[in-house]
Amino acid sequence: MTTPSNLAIHIEGLSKTYKTGFWFKPKITHALNNLTLDVYEKEAFGLLGLNGAGKTTAIKIILGFLAPTAGSVQVLGGKISDREVRNQIGYLSELPYFSRQHTGRELLEYFGSLHGFSGSTLQHRVDEVLELVRMSKASREKVSGYSKGMLQRIGIGQALIGKPKLLICDEPMSGLDPVGYKEMRDIFIDLKKMGTTLFLNTHIMDEVERVCDRIGILHGGQLREVASVSDILQSSVHVDYWVDVDSQDASRLAGTPFQKSIAENGGVQITGSSLSETLNLLNQRQVKTKGLRPLSSVMEAYFLKSIAGQSSTESGRASK
Amino acid sequence: MRRIFCVAQFTFRELIRSNMLYIWFLSVVVFSALAFILSVLSFGEVQKIFMDLGLVGMEFSGLLVLILSLAVTYNTEFDQKAIYLQLAKPITRGEYLLGRVFGFFTVISLVVIGMGLFIAGLVILVGQGQVPFLFVDSTIFLLIEMFVLTVLGLTFQMIGTSMVGVVLYTMFTIFLGHGIGQVDWLLNQKLAPTVKTMLRIVHFLLPNLEAFNLKDRIYDPNLVLGWTQWQEVLLYAFAYSFVVFLIGWINLEKREFM
Repeated sequence: MTTPSNLAIHIEGLSKTYKTGFWFKPKITHALNNLTLDVYEKEAFGLLGLNGAGKTTAIKIILGFLAPTAGSVQVLGGKISDREVRNQIGYLSELPYFSRQHTGRELLEYFGSLHGFSGSTLQHRVDEVLELVRMSKASREKVSGYSKGMLQRIGIGQALIGKPKLLICDEPMSGLDPVGYKEMRDIFIDLKKMGTTLFLNTHIMDEVERVCDRIGILHGGQLREVASVSDILQSSVHVDYWVDVDSQDASRLAGTPFQKSIAENGGVQITGSSLSETLNLLNQRQVKTKGLRPLSSVMEAYFLKSIAGQSSTESGRASK
Repeated sequence: MRRIFCVAQFTFRELIRSNMLYIWFLSVVVFSALAFILSVLSFGEVQKIFMDLGLVGMEFSGLLVLILSLAVTYNTEFDQKAIYLQLAKPITRGEYLLGRVFGFFTVISLVVIGMGLFIAGLVILVGQGQVPFLFVDSTIFLLIEMFVLTVLGLTFQMIGTSMVGVVLYTMFTIFLGHGIGQVDWLLNQKLAPTVKTMLRIVHFLLPNLEAFNLKDRIYDPNLVLGWTQWQEVLLYAFAYSFVVFLIGWINLEKREFM
């Protein structure tokens, strides 16, 4: 199989089926169904999906932790089983767990040595990474005393220690507080600037909007669509807006095609509209607007539209 | 090779900091108390009591470290999934497994040798006696046994799906491995061919831990360990460990991490 040289990940017809239950009455779960996807070098790609959509399964197959039922994966032009390919990959699992008996620095030294670093090169690289993930001060403390955010930062540190060309992260923002979340996002933005290919598996829309160049939406094990983030943000996806108006003006919006509800104190929720349509409507009706805010992000609306038709409470797995 | 050393060093540090050396202290305390009580009760056989009890204590402490280490690391590596981040690195699963074996074995050796030194010191200083020459051979045989059991335990860890399962498999194998003499005895009895075939399979699969057992014969004046016996023991230990290691490696290669 030949693939263009600028592909970081090339996935073709990937399927994964799990068999559970008794041998005479097995329950078959299709975690992934014929997934075909390309991720280009130096881009930040976000794989979005509900819980159970198959995102983690896809990552585990990419990394060789699971064998696919069908299909193939090429990473950086080779197979994941190749040592040289793995040397160029960084991986951060969801809520990474480390031996609690080591310090952050010792962990990075260990992971760095697995990448072939030694001596002063290793120490220098560890210092660099600790600086990058803002963990220099706490690096000599045992991991057992770290907060969730610090663990996540050491997690990203171990993923970066080998100077990876491709960074694969499974729910990297999981469990982080707003400060940790912002720090992690800034690290991703820095990495993107440095030319690292990012493959993020997430369901945090804000992260996708600010970090990713393209997204893929996975639902029920199937890839619903792949789109560029800038195209989505410029698209006429309808989102709900909350418009603050005087109570007498609120009545002017009654009966409009987009109006959903009118609050007694003069707020109006306008639904199923784009920003330009909303502004036009307000202008036409000569409504004095005191404030306007979207009730959901464009990305969120796009995602929900893409997976519409199936209940969000559904696990997303087709089973029989 | 460097990567194997890195995994071994990491494992060693992890186990040492998980307070595995406390087992050494515990064994020393228990052994000393028992030795003191029995030496008071016995008449003139203090050195022999120290030696017999000490050798049992060495084996017991080594096995305890192995079992506890298997339990602790199964929880970290498999239940908490710390293994994921390591296997995503440029290291083969065989290198990872071999590194774990060496890391485990170094800690177990420390405990066994530490215990041995304590016993030797006790015999010389308290018992006013001499350490029999076979004590050194017995300790080396015990270390070989520990190596075989370390490979076996870690292979169970690669195959097993729960911490309890891994611990039980290992303990059961140790128990049966020491009872291999009984299987030999049964094989010499008049039994149905099917039963004999099954017993032969069991005999073949189980580690013959009695091959490493010198502790009962340390004061046997007729026992002379020649090069042939050493070769046999080393060859058996190497061959058995190698095959078991291969099974563990293949299982780890094929293991799916859900």
